Amino acid sequence: MTASSSSLLDVRGLSRRFGAHQVLSDVSFSLGRSEILGLLGPNGSGKSTVLNIVSGFLSADSGVVALDGVGITNMQSSRIARRGLVRTFQLPSMPRRLTVREVIQAGDATSATLAGSLQRFRFDDEVETLIEAFALSAVADQPASSLSGGQKKLLSVATALRCRPQILCLDEPTAGVHPNLRAEMVRILHRYNAQGIAMLVVEHDMLFIRDLCHRCVVLDRGEIIATCAPCALEDDPRVVEAYLGKAVEKGKLSA
Amino acid sequence: MIQFLSDTLLRAADLALIAVGLSVVYSLIRFPNVAIVQYAVVGAFLAISLQSAGLGLFMAAAVAVLAVGGLALMFNVMIFERLLKADSAIALIGSLALSMVLMAVFLMVYGPIAYRLQLPVEPPFRLLGVRFTVWQLVTLGVSAAALAAFALLLHRTRLGTEMRAVATNAALAAATGIENRRIVNIVVFVSGMLAALGGITLALRGSVSIDMGTNLLLPVFASAVLGGLGNALGAIVGALVIAAAETVVTNTNLGFLVGEAVWFLPASYAPVASFVILVLFLLFRPRGLFVSEVSRV
Amino acid sequence: MSDFLIHVASIACIYGMLALALNLQAGFTGLVNFGLVALFGCGIYGAALAHALHWPLMGGVAAALGMAILLGAFLARLGKRLSSDYWGIATLSIAEVIRITVTNEKWTGGAQGISGLSLLFADLKPWDGLGRLGLFGAVLVLTYWLCQKIADSRFGLAMKLMREEPQLARALGHDVDGIRLRVMVISSIIAAASGVLYAHYLTFVGPDQLVSADTFLIWSMIIVGGIANNAGVVLGAVLMQFAMAFVPFVKDILGLPTDFVAAARLLLVGGGILIFLLVRPQGLLPERVGRRA
Repeated sequence: MTASSSSLLDVRGLSRRFGAHQVLSDVSFSLGRSEILGLLGPNGSGKSTVLNIVSGFLSADSGVVALDGVGITNMQSSRIARRGLVRTFQLPSMPRRLTVREVIQAGDATSATLAGSLQRFRFDDEVETLIEAFALSAVADQPASSLSGGQKKLLSVATALRCRPQILCLDEPTAGVHPNLRAEMVRILHRYNAQGIAMLVVEHDMLFIRDLCHRCVVLDRGEIIATCAPCALEDDPRVVEAYLGKAVEKGKLSA
Repeated sequence: MIQFLSDTLLRAADLALIAVGLSVVYSLIRFPNVAIVQYAVVGAFLAISLQSAGLGLFMAAAVAVLAVGGLALMFNVMIFERLLKADSAIALIGSLALSMVLMAVFLMVYGPIAYRLQLPVEPPFRLLGVRFTVWQLVTLGVSAAALAAFALLLHRTRLGTEMRAVATNAALAAATGIENRRIVNIVVFVSGMLAALGGITLALRGSVSIDMGTNLLLPVFASAVLGGLGNALGAIVGALVIAAAETVVTNTNLGFLVGEAVWFLPASYAPVASFVILVLFLLFRPRGLFVSEVSRV
Repeated sequence: MSDFLIHVASIACIYGMLALALNLQAGFTGLVNFGLVALFGCGIYGAALAHALHWPLMGGVAAALGMAILLGAFLARLGKRLSSDYWGIATLSIAEVIRITVTNEKWTGGAQGISGLSLLFADLKPWDGLGRLGLFGAVLVLTYWLCQKIADSRFGLAMKLMREEPQLARALGHDVDGIRLRVMVISSIIAAASGVLYAHYLTFVGPDQLVSADTFLIWSMIIVGGIANNAGVVLGAVLMQFAMAFVPFVKDILGLPTDFVAAARLLLVGGGILIFLLVRPQGLLPERVGRRA
């Protein structure tokens, strides 16, 4: 793998099994600089497993993951995050005794040094910007655990953005988020994308994917069955079949 | 060699009863209730008191065993169920605190002196070249019978099946109509009985004083961890390993290490053997002897 | 009587430092350490061994801190692999192994311990007691200031995030093992420093000062005072220390047998922990969530 590789994230030949169950077999894809890539597939297709391996929360049986030309396969999750690949969780669990504002501030791991303890604590401006952007102002001083499921999702994305990642990996960012907020979320994510943050998004909501992503990879039973533009998803019979078992009329998928 | 085996077996029998109790409760409520070693002391003291109040040895032991089962159940409902809602680490702190409260009670009621059961004096005899007393063989038999009965309960009864179902997946068990709470209560009661029996078998061979529980804590815990916390019958094997290690450490001539003909480690180093094994296991095989995959617990 | 009060207050300062050290671990970082007394032991035995070897006072301080840092780092390393309840028991075991070893070895003075250490400010008589109290108080204030700085910093934020959501902390790039190591080393230094002061206060060091009951006493201080609140745990240390010190007077007044003292102290510690955990788990001064800034 050379550093001159044009893609930011390269995944080659990823395989993983749990017991007798082959969850991923030979999955390869790449994520370009400033690209937003959707990772789709029915439940159990292995998309969360891909995310877990890429972010270091699960080890791969074989295969290679490279971030900006440097191998990060099976590296510790915190080291991967410090290299610029930061993830959120499907069901974010938030601390009881930290406020929303503190959690977002804690997203900045690099300034959390012991030597820095002697300096005066202040929240940085970026935290306030994120609170504004994610409509969390009203709850900024509440304990983070007291938020609703949807708000926790927003908080986890805001916190991950505070890491100033190169790649943001989102695990079902819209599940539980109010529909009105989804369009808003697309707008926010596009804004950060315009600043050069690439994104890898695991998601079920087709409308969200179509509005957000530049390109899609579709998984089924641990294998990639299609790579296409979001608007072409419904035209691909394999994708439709993987999702619904049988062929359906065009247009039904996004309903 | 026979001497070594008999020393190991006698020690293991006491540890195993209590360690099995610790482990089986852990399998259901996921926290190590270390106060169980003090339940053993309660059992021993209670049996001694009941005997001196005029009950026969068997009756005194039986009443003590049942009473400690009830006590274990009461503490679990009053204290641990509530603390577990916060965190298992909080419940662990609570069980250490309960141990201290129980020790305070022992000290107030019995004082610092050692007590014994009144037993008819039987002359020791030789078996396979090793000196035994009748009471040593009795305790061995009682422990073996109790452990066998427990194994049958776990693997041959409907209750045992339900217990294992709750241990494997509490939510799923509840969905199939098993009353988790009832199962937990029964298991806690049984664990108290096992612990009390362990305390009484110790009392049958020696004296009982208030530090008995503290001295039991780490070997018992080490046995349960070695067997895999939550693997009740694994704890029996764990107890055998710990007992063997203690026996080896104190009975091996280490003269060659210090350049003398005969040199033994002081007997007070016996617990160090179990601590060292425990720490090594926690480092390299935290899930115990019987799990092939090493992972974070 | 006033000498006695000065004595109790001096010991309360020592325990205040230990409570702050445990609070950094257990309160802010979620490290359930039941072997704190071993880190304190590094302090007292560092001072005592330096005395036995005729080293200067600072040599004892260096030996104490060196041993404590090594032990703290070892405990932190153990924590890499273990969940909190296993780690708690492992730390308890290690403290017991150390106590048993110290009791049985000759170079540590065995069960008799090591006596004849120099008394701090001995030439200030009759004001030496107050002098020591002043020193201990000053060191306690310094420790409190340090702990407060750490808890209120961004590093403190990372500690608290690790305490409650270690997985989230990792995903955000926090080096959880590194945080554990740093917290253990800092609090080990605090515990060892309090041990050095204690050794040069009592002028005698022995294995009886390494018993796990002392660890639980410190636990009762942080639980009663308010876990994860630095002011709370110092308050807890003062309250528990005074309560423990006055038990013998209660015994005399009520004419109770000698065993009452030991039993009442066990009851104060165990009962104090249990009652607070059940009735007021946040302690007398609860942790403050959020900040004024």
